[in-house]
Amino acid sequence: MTDGQPRTGDATGVIPLRRWKIEKRPDVGAWLQFLAILLALAAAFIVSAALITIAGADVGKAALAAFKGAFGSLKSFAETLLQSTPILLTGLAVTVAFRARLFNIGAEGQFLAGAMGAVWVSLAFGDALPSGLLIPLTMLGALATGGLWGGIPGLLRARYGTSEIIVTVMMNFVIYFLLAFLLGDVWRDPSSFFLQTPRMPEAAHLPKLIAGTRLHLGFIVALAAAALVYVLLWRTALGYEIRAVGINATAATYKGIDVAKITVLVMALSGAIAGLSGAIEIPGLHQRLTLDTSTGVGFTGIIIAMLGRLHPLGVVLAAFFFGASVTGTSAMQIATGVPVAINQAIQGIILIFLLITDVLVRYRLRRIEVHV
Amino acid sequence: MSELWDVAFIASLLAGMVRLATPILLAALGELITERAGILNLGVEGMMLTGALVGFLVAYGTGSLWLGTAAAVLCGGLLGLLMAFMAATLKVDQILVGLALNLLALGSTTFAYRLAFKDVGTQNPTTISTFGTVKVPGLADIPLLGEVLFSQHALTYLALLVVPAAYFFLYHTKYGLELRGIGDNPRAVDMRGVAYTRRQYAAVAFGGMMAGLGGAFLTLAASGLFVPDISAGRGWIAIALVIFGNWQPVWIMFGALFFGLIDSFQLSLQAVGVDVPHELLLGLPYLLTIVALVLNRRRTQMPLSLGIPYYRESR
Amino acid sequence: MANSRSPASSEALLSIEHLTKRFPQVLANDDISFEVRRGEICCLLGENGAGKSTLAEMLYGASEPDAGRIRFDGRPAAFASPRDAIDVGIGMVHQHFALIPTLTAVENVFIGTRSGGLLLDLNQTRRRLEELRDSYQIELDLGVPVSELSVGQQQWVEILKALHGGAKLLILDEPTAVLTPQETGKLFANLRRMRDDGLSIIFITHKLHEVMAVSDRVIVLRLGKLVNAIETDATTREQLARIMVGREVVFRVDNRRMEPGEVLLEVKGVHAVNDKGREALHGVGLTLRRGEILGLAGVSGNGQRELFDVLVGVRPTAAGEILLEGRNLANRSSTYVAEQGLCGVPEDRVRQGLVMDFRVDENLILGRHRDSRFSRGWLLRRREIDAFARRMIDDYEIATPTAGQVVRVLSGGNLQKVVMARELAREPKCLIVSQPTRGLDVGATEYVRRRLLEERDRGAGILLISEDLDEILNLATRIAVMFKGQIVGVLDAEEATVEAIGLLMAGVHHGAAGRLQ
Repeated sequence: MTDGQPRTGDATGVIPLRRWKIEKRPDVGAWLQFLAILLALAAAFIVSAALITIAGADVGKAALAAFKGAFGSLKSFAETLLQSTPILLTGLAVTVAFRARLFNIGAEGQFLAGAMGAVWVSLAFGDALPSGLLIPLTMLGALATGGLWGGIPGLLRARYGTSEIIVTVMMNFVIYFLLAFLLGDVWRDPSSFFLQTPRMPEAAHLPKLIAGTRLHLGFIVALAAAALVYVLLWRTALGYEIRAVGINATAATYKGIDVAKITVLVMALSGAIAGLSGAIEIPGLHQRLTLDTSTGVGFTGIIIAMLGRLHPLGVVLAAFFFGASVTGTSAMQIATGVPVAINQAIQGIILIFLLITDVLVRYRLRRIEVHV
Repeated sequence: MSELWDVAFIASLLAGMVRLATPILLAALGELITERAGILNLGVEGMMLTGALVGFLVAYGTGSLWLGTAAAVLCGGLLGLLMAFMAATLKVDQILVGLALNLLALGSTTFAYRLAFKDVGTQNPTTISTFGTVKVPGLADIPLLGEVLFSQHALTYLALLVVPAAYFFLYHTKYGLELRGIGDNPRAVDMRGVAYTRRQYAAVAFGGMMAGLGGAFLTLAASGLFVPDISAGRGWIAIALVIFGNWQPVWIMFGALFFGLIDSFQLSLQAVGVDVPHELLLGLPYLLTIVALVLNRRRTQMPLSLGIPYYRESR
Repeated sequence: MANSRSPASSEALLSIEHLTKRFPQVLANDDISFEVRRGEICCLLGENGAGKSTLAEMLYGASEPDAGRIRFDGRPAAFASPRDAIDVGIGMVHQHFALIPTLTAVENVFIGTRSGGLLLDLNQTRRRLEELRDSYQIELDLGVPVSELSVGQQQWVEILKALHGGAKLLILDEPTAVLTPQETGKLFANLRRMRDDGLSIIFITHKLHEVMAVSDRVIVLRLGKLVNAIETDATTREQLARIMVGREVVFRVDNRRMEPGEVLLEVKGVHAVNDKGREALHGVGLTLRRGEILGLAGVSGNGQRELFDVLVGVRPTAAGEILLEGRNLANRSSTYVAEQGLCGVPEDRVRQGLVMDFRVDENLILGRHRDSRFSRGWLLRRREIDAFARRMIDDYEIATPTAGQVVRVLSGGNLQKVVMARELAREPKCLIVSQPTRGLDVGATEYVRRRLLEERDRGAGILLISEDLDEILNLATRIAVMFKGQIVGVLDAEEATVEAIGLLMAGVHHGAAGRLQ
């Protein structure tokens, strides 16, 4: 970094020898990148403590409640895994897109699209098919609708060069209002006062993994998806092309890679994975759609993808961490009254600190000895 | 249906158009200046939301709407400075910073609101009394035009005045010329010895202040209450406006008025009792933004260095 | 040689003592000391990577020295920014112009001047620029966006920008890269005039004939150190070359030629547009034979980039044919074109040739990653890729610790080797190379040229697109010249003279000089 400040010489204008200098490192190793994450998390913890204090609670008591809420028992641990499941998938969805330098901000809407697809399939075929067939079918439905909702921005970008950032954000709103319309109209549960769909048939509910907890099959599906994304990106020719386009689309074009095709494919795939998240969260947990269905999992997915350094293993760890923070802050609210919204605030803070520490670790102090 | 076309209806429709265009026009003009300095600020949504909340809180706490407005502008400016620090000094990926700011704002504003007000359910949110409209003496009595243009909020007049001011600044002042230079080729400006980083800070801070002002309009003039995510994507629409206004103040104004018209039309239809599913109408502006982006692809005035950080040393 | 000069003032205008600049991995300037007198043209000579630009950056205020001092016009100088250098009278003409394309020349010069108040008043600046322009008799429209000017005219805007501030010292960084020989001559004449008027000039170059043509004194840098400062009259090209490189340099590469074989590539009547939609190729036609190197000379911006793109299959043609052994390659994908035997080495290895965050092995298979050799079904065949990479690293002497090293840290020469290895491994029938030695040091340059000759001897046909006339004269069998999207002349290398080529490059004698196809 240049500092732009004049260094004053002595009366004859001689500039003295520098002792210390800030200079750019030649390359940043994995350990330094990990350090950046740790520093960002540390800074975020400090800010959290400040927010907790502002909320009028005792930091120690709050921290203890949070820890117990996340890991204190088998039940809470299972709940933590449960909470990390949908964001693991949206994190993977964002990872795939960001690797191609496509900024998919629409995971939220694609999640909803997938959930709607899953619910529709289950309501349409729920009476006719057994679980073994129905569940995969609902997942396929979600992959299709999510893929469509992601593919459209991809197509517009490939064909017309329109910014996928703005289009995906707009489509989040469009599908929200579409759902609101359907909930008030054809999809309304006639037997209920609330604005919601009928409950999904039993056969579509995802089986539980551990009795007495809410943890369901979706968790396994999410882990499997993480493994598949790894294989895709680093072991297949398609993944090679995706990464190449993300780093240097020009060079990729010169060597025969069809950037337009990759754009559409990646956005559709990203949307499909986010849609799958919807197919897991709804049938696994709520079993119906309401206006509150989308809770920010799409945006959390962005943070998780960045924290996880756009690598599936990192994404799994980051998702686990965030799952713990959901269950933890929930318990913390019960114990100390700190609003759960602190979660979202911290997410933004972590990302900002991570962006800063990422830059800081690229520089170092060096002692320069120059002999004149 | 005949009520649809009488003068009173049209007057109220057009007056609504101008009123509803105000927040996005303010934010878009701020973003125009920011982007002309070469910085892509995607955090406009977050800055608007923060302005909305801070304005509301301060106005509620002090009883003064103007103090609330000032606080909103200040907060927007501070967030703008943060954005400038990350984008111009640290030279972080601008897209990511903007997204981070949005998330931060969404979480922080909800957190703060929940702390300050215990009305968790949305049946009875806390309200305050809002800015009234200001009638321009004499002009407000002109039939139709008087209601549409001269009986608006003070902030609306301000927004409309910023349009020619922005044009004048960019094309007829020394600083405007330098700013356009920075947006197209920061290296050239740096080599002329201009302190370009300082200018970028000023431009982004201005953008933040305008976004904060736009947010304040939502809670202090338009509605009188705050709900989480009250900005509902308007910041993003403002960004889109800059693009298909081709980075020209006057075209951006026309774009904002167009969106205001859609919004106003949807409200008026509801008021008149026309039976159209109102959720679909609510989604219309967002759909139209996509359509407009596709239709208007020639971005010939886009600052050449937009979003690209500049390093003086090549190594 | 017109090197006679009016007697220079004896007091030094610029005095540099023990100037040092260090970067993380290299000592770019090591204890450099020299003087520049008033009214003289001083050449700063060195090969790519010697530290010339780094030194210049410190002189015009873009960076700060780590040690040493500068004295200018009798006073100590410590520049915190280019504005300080401009204020004392140092003007810089950059190699890559520092101009704002959407603004006019007047506006470009106005930015940064400390004049006037809030309102924009360009009149004073415009008048001064008109005076300067007329005094050097240049044709230049000061009121159009700079992007609409020719490259030579843009350079004049750069020069006027420097002179406008009342420069006493003018620094020019490799100014002739974008000029025809005739334009270069005109520039030199104007520089001499400026010198005779009392201006001091530092002229940065790596081209020996320019040093001999225009300078009074030459300062030679090698690997960051100043190795010699000598009056131009007192030295020769050969001696300078030896000092610059540190060993004997062979000027003409050993060039036993084979007789060119049958026709390999025929380009007929090709039309194509550039990225802005304007026609850049207006009916290009050329022939390339086996075992020959066809040099393509021309000032950049006359369609070379579009021609390269069209040949390798990355840009569509609006009309015309590209026949490789009779098969038309026009408008086919770059994968198809490569499979037919036509490969290309692009001019910008960082932006067009490599994926910088990929590893060496990943870059080596770029374009062939879907070949059955490197992938089976969906999956990549890692073992084969690794074996291939290790063999390439060996054959092409690529200096990298492992095949898995991320390419970003490699030197320019090694980056170019990766690109060449990738293309040459396919044993192409036809090879298109564009600016293959740009930015490379002498060692890497020799290696690249040697490889090209080996390919030619193997029977490949090579189209060598280069702005470096020396390179073309050295390597080519025949020389074609490109001007405004057409081939305006083809000459046998043995008959070609710099003057003849230069005229064609400037568009003179269109159709009259040399033999057209």
